[in-house]
Amino acid sequence: MTEPQPFSPKSVALLEEIRKKYPTGRAALMPALYVAQEEFGWLRPEALKAVAEFLGLPEMTVRSTATFYSMYRHRKAGRNVIRLCTNVSCMVLGAGTLKGVLGNVYGLAPGGTSPDGRFSLEVADCIGACGKGPAMIVNDDLHTGLDAKKILEVLENYK
Amino acid sequence: MTSYLLDVARNRNIEEYEKAGGYQGLGKALFMEPGQVVEEVKKSGLRGRGGAGFPTGMKWMFMASDPKSPRYIVCNADEGEPGTFKDKALIDKNPHVLLEGMAIAGHALMAGLGYIYLRAEYPEERGILEAALKEARAKGYLGENVMGSGKKFDIHVHMGAGAYICGEETALIDSLEGKRGQPRLKPPFPVNSGLWGMPTMVNNVETLSNLPFIMREGALRYAGIGDPSCPGNKLFPVSGHVERPGVYELPMGTPLREIIYEHAGGIKNGKALKAVIPGGISAPVLAPDQIDCPMDFVSVQKAGSMLGSGAVMVFDEDTCIVRVALRTLEFFEHESCGKCTPCREGTGWLKAILERIETKQGHGGDIQLLEDVCRNIAGNTFCPLGDGAASAALGFIRHFREEFTEHIRSGCRYHREQGQAQP
Amino acid sequence: MILITINGKKIELDGPVTIFEAARRNGIDIPSLCHHPALELWGGCRMCLVEIEKMPRLQTSCTVKAADGMAVYTETPRVVAARKAMLEFLLINHPLQCPTCDKAGECALQDLTVRYGAVAGRFEEGKRTFPENVDDPVIVRNMERCIMCTRCVRMCDGVQGAFAIGVVGRGAGSHVEPFSGGRYNCEYCGNCLNVCPVGAIMSRLHRYTYRPWQMDKTVKTICSFCGVGCTILLEVRGDAIQKVSPAFGKGVNNGLLCGRGMFGYGYAGSPERLKTPLVRKDGKLVPASWDEALALAARRLLEVKAQHGGRAIAGIAGGRCTNEENYAFQKFMRAGLGSNNIDSTARLGLLHAQDLLEGIFGQGAAANVIRGIPHSDAVLVVACDPTRTNPVMGLQVRAASKAGKKVVAIGHAPGLKRHMTHHLSAAFGHEGIALAGLLRELLRQKKALPGENPEFEAAIMGFSELPSPEEVRRLAGVPEAALTQAAEALKDVSTSSIIAGRELAASMDAKRNFMLLAAIGYVLNSRFFLVSEHPNEQGLIDMGCTPDMLPGGRPLALQTFRERCEHEWGARLDPEPGLTLMEMFEQAGGAIRAMYIMGENPAFNLPGRKKIKEALEKKLDFLVVQDIFLTETASLADVVLPSKAWSEKEGTYTNLEKRIQKLAQATGKNHEAGMEDWRILALIGRLAGLGNMPYASASDIIDEIARVSPLHAGLRYEDLEEDGMMWPYKGKPLRMSGGMQPLPAAKAAATLDRREEDTGQTGPALVIEKPLFHSGSLSRHSGALLDIMGGPEAKMAPGTAAGLGICEGGSVKISTAEGEMVLKAKLEKGLPAGAIFAGNNFGDAGALGLFGYELEPGSKTPVPRAEGLEITPL
Repeated sequence: MTEPQPFSPKSVALLEEIRKKYPTGRAALMPALYVAQEEFGWLRPEALKAVAEFLGLPEMTVRSTATFYSMYRHRKAGRNVIRLCTNVSCMVLGAGTLKGVLGNVYGLAPGGTSPDGRFSLEVADCIGACGKGPAMIVNDDLHTGLDAKKILEVLENYK
Repeated sequence: MTSYLLDVARNRNIEEYEKAGGYQGLGKALFMEPGQVVEEVKKSGLRGRGGAGFPTGMKWMFMASDPKSPRYIVCNADEGEPGTFKDKALIDKNPHVLLEGMAIAGHALMAGLGYIYLRAEYPEERGILEAALKEARAKGYLGENVMGSGKKFDIHVHMGAGAYICGEETALIDSLEGKRGQPRLKPPFPVNSGLWGMPTMVNNVETLSNLPFIMREGALRYAGIGDPSCPGNKLFPVSGHVERPGVYELPMGTPLREIIYEHAGGIKNGKALKAVIPGGISAPVLAPDQIDCPMDFVSVQKAGSMLGSGAVMVFDEDTCIVRVALRTLEFFEHESCGKCTPCREGTGWLKAILERIETKQGHGGDIQLLEDVCRNIAGNTFCPLGDGAASAALGFIRHFREEFTEHIRSGCRYHREQGQAQP
Repeated sequence: MILITINGKKIELDGPVTIFEAARRNGIDIPSLCHHPALELWGGCRMCLVEIEKMPRLQTSCTVKAADGMAVYTETPRVVAARKAMLEFLLINHPLQCPTCDKAGECALQDLTVRYGAVAGRFEEGKRTFPENVDDPVIVRNMERCIMCTRCVRMCDGVQGAFAIGVVGRGAGSHVEPFSGGRYNCEYCGNCLNVCPVGAIMSRLHRYTYRPWQMDKTVKTICSFCGVGCTILLEVRGDAIQKVSPAFGKGVNNGLLCGRGMFGYGYAGSPERLKTPLVRKDGKLVPASWDEALALAARRLLEVKAQHGGRAIAGIAGGRCTNEENYAFQKFMRAGLGSNNIDSTARLGLLHAQDLLEGIFGQGAAANVIRGIPHSDAVLVVACDPTRTNPVMGLQVRAASKAGKKVVAIGHAPGLKRHMTHHLSAAFGHEGIALAGLLRELLRQKKALPGENPEFEAAIMGFSELPSPEEVRRLAGVPEAALTQAAEALKDVSTSSIIAGRELAASMDAKRNFMLLAAIGYVLNSRFFLVSEHPNEQGLIDMGCTPDMLPGGRPLALQTFRERCEHEWGARLDPEPGLTLMEMFEQAGGAIRAMYIMGENPAFNLPGRKKIKEALEKKLDFLVVQDIFLTETASLADVVLPSKAWSEKEGTYTNLEKRIQKLAQATGKNHEAGMEDWRILALIGRLAGLGNMPYASASDIIDEIARVSPLHAGLRYEDLEEDGMMWPYKGKPLRMSGGMQPLPAAKAAATLDRREEDTGQTGPALVIEKPLFHSGSLSRHSGALLDIMGGPEAKMAPGTAAGLGICEGGSVKISTAEGEMVLKAKLEKGLPAGAIFAGNNFGDAGALGLFGYELEPGSKTPVPRAEGLEITPL
């Protein structure tokens, strides 16, 4: 008579590993949210509930923490998430132009998803690549030294 | 000049690190009583590299005198200050120097567990650290019995999730506890009541990475490097319009001019320097006539700015300062945690005024209003984030008031000249 | 001693307090929006900034502790400028909707803007917009008005412990909402909106109906729902309660409220209230004049008395009636009608529990201060969920937990889920076995007993056959480790609180249970608290509404106490004790020919409903009921007399701490429909020439109580003005605690009955659910509480449901030997396996109707039994 487990066995294993690193369930919340985001695609209510249940936390506590941080997604995202840095160092090297390029080529607006669901664009505030700007992170990969041509070449590799 | 942080050819590998004297500092520390290690760090004169420049030894003594346990070492690797990428470079090139530094801190402060709070935007560095941790555990530098001393010390990597405020140590602690990363009331300070209410040492990546050298070479040798009031090497990340952007390891007190023109190769494409931010985006901008300032905590402050993270952001003559100011305030508005009134409401207001000035919708009185709002924020906020926003904005106005006036009168010259659309 | 100056005024402080607090104590007002004395420090609004000499920055006075030699200035030009700046910041996004905002007139932001001077806005851009949320029936959220002080969230998390609302988002985009973003799924305590300084979270109950300054009066009184006796403020306009407000700093509750207390007041103004007396004519209840109804009641009672004697009449007093009314009632019965057949629903467990405890520790054993609970090292909660039955007492348990104290719960206590350190999940009715096991483990693990009472200790050590952890697991379903760990946690505490539910006393094992409880209490140096469902349940006992006790807890059997009453009342008293509650119905039509029921609804609130209804309807010659609604019982009466609701009368309640508190009349001054219960009794008494009740007001009665009851000797209303008065008042208890005497019979009973079966995990068990939002007879006339929880349901764990073939929302037929009922199934994770929870709160579906009962032989406490239980999905 066990309840259905909302997480896959792989995620459960990850979560159990994470849980061991901290003395409290609450402290495991941020890494657990990443696991849920990976599993559910974005932090929809069921994902938050599943995390709450796994860690024994109130649902509201989970949601309140999750919405504080900009790396957690609270709406459906495209298959690839682009985080384009537009902060000052990248901006003065032309990051603003790149934002325009993404808009023209993929129909991407900051915070939005391309109509084909291929990309989501987040405007990032410094990704620590100021020495090689403009830069972006696509999913978990850092790309630097971008210009209008290179950015499109790089993105061609993400389907 | 001795380089002990970065001038080690990409030695991620533990064997290479050991060959270069790695983990000898830890070995030496383990032969000493914890109190002696604290004393040694105090003697070295090391000051925190996170931004405030507080003497590390003194901070350690505060924690050493609190008997509560368990105790924690937290490495602040939430390098969120725009323009700053020194900790990232350090972890990329030399992860073991950080792990060794943390292990030394663990021994000195009688902590058994450390966390590295790493920026979410650094997934690659996470992999590097996890690999280095595995190596260090395998070799017995970390784990249940550190170098056969019978002492336990291990480290977990905790990923942040995109919140600049978590660079503030109490916000970082709340975040590590799984809470919204908002600053805590002080006192109590983390050294007495940090993670889960227990004594906790939060030190920056660069600060901790200085420890192996101090322990291996001795506090006196360290104290002799660079400026005696603030010894040791400092990492200066340089970005913007320079020929050779990158991170430079130089003695504290190296003049800003030398950093820009010698190490970073001068202004890109031979253009003229218009402005430079000396310590990350929170630091007020400096004018070209101020760049002979030595880069140490006191001198930069005297020049009307702050050393902060030491991140040098260089702008050439074609840069629109209003636009830089606007982008700066967009950043602060986005990152304000919302806890206190002046920061939550004021940063957005500043952004709104700058936006209208930049888009030629400004009007007379706007500069005065900007200054008023800044003054109403500064000094009244819960934590330094709001102060940083206000002083950064005031810095731009102080040195470039004419450019603001011109924007209000006739719009942005740079957009016109470069044929760019208004943002 | 700390010496500081504020604005040049020298201030001495005997301990470290914040500057804000030091100023407040000395009448210096520092403004603040986020600070609240009931909440954790925050320091976010920056309104309380002050200037302190030698400190370059302005400081938040709410967070900085006063230190010796500090010179503080609270209204310098610099400070005033900063406050104006903060107000300007707050107003750039705050909509200026004051003309349509219910909060206008009592809004802190509005008041401060007036205080520091409104100026022309310099903010030119559009304000932040956020649609008002009206998804919830009770609470409306307007996040445009929110100033992010987070008082509501700190209340919900830190004090209420409900974690139902939180801040969502970051920075200027932050706002507060429940998980769903719409309707709340919470305890509806309303404490969040009570601390909101602006109009961001408000009650919908009185939305757009008045402006705060139009209120006629604010009346401080006591809540009418449970035995905690919270102090509340009734805001009255016209003759109606507009809202209930908290009284922070006052009363048992210090401003905290629960859903019933906060939102349940609507029953007093319900259109379903009885509007005239009713008399039965041709089998039907029809409206009658007071004269007619009173005359009929007087005549028929006299006839029954003449024909069958006073002992043929039985009376049931009401736990919602005042002390004065219950006193008058038992006097009317005893002195007027000559009957000791007086009882009440205190018979369902509280009375027995108290008798057993007092039998061991002396009178007043459970007279302890609720606000002391968090100060003990541990709290042991047994067979109850105080967060549901006595919510504000439950908050004290949560406060103990928050303060890091040990909280051990034995039995089902869902409201303590996040607040207990140890849970001994004993099956229903098997809590006593867990107690026995816990005692055994405590004795095994503890180094030494206190040594205060060697005789008592010898008795404890003499308990035979206390069960081993393994046996406790087998018999009660408590895991061994949980038991040993709980004992480990408790063994070294120096003080503790024990909160016990009435089910522990409504058991065939009651004596054993309380003997064990007393032993554990002795070992852990405990104070006892007995949960109590009605606001004056304790008063029923103290006023002599029991068959064998006179007012003040004096035995009827003792001549000296009888004589004292006889002298005052001018009548001879029957020395024989009367019948108990269930016996009255059992003997209806036989020894009992007529009944008088005041403010109680036995046709709904007791087990064995079928027989009770039959007794009331068919076996009695005459039945009088006084109530404010036409209850199940009233509808069977021959005469129904409308009484006044709690807000319409004066009088006193005695709460579960045995604190006497005074009600204040707030409404209904000219309410013609009802009369105070005591007045009705006095009128009938006068008409019938019975009793001696020349009362003109409730205070005349308290004066008489003070003469008759040695416990209440010398008590006057003036004594009760502030926070009431704690037992033993000015009077004398019968026997002080300290005279602990384990009764030999109880000692023998304290061994475990080996015949007990393994926990009935074989089939489902029916459990009476005590929901937070309904208590029964009154709450179902409160619109707001019905909006929150509209009807009955059968709750069970998903696993239990699956085993029975029941799905969420499906209909379930529950049948027993007593009857059957169809309820909607509600699945809830975490409920104990096998248990089906159904409440006794809604008219046609009171689950107590499925229970028969058996009487505990000594106390005649009914022990509910659901024989022949069958659960079938439909």
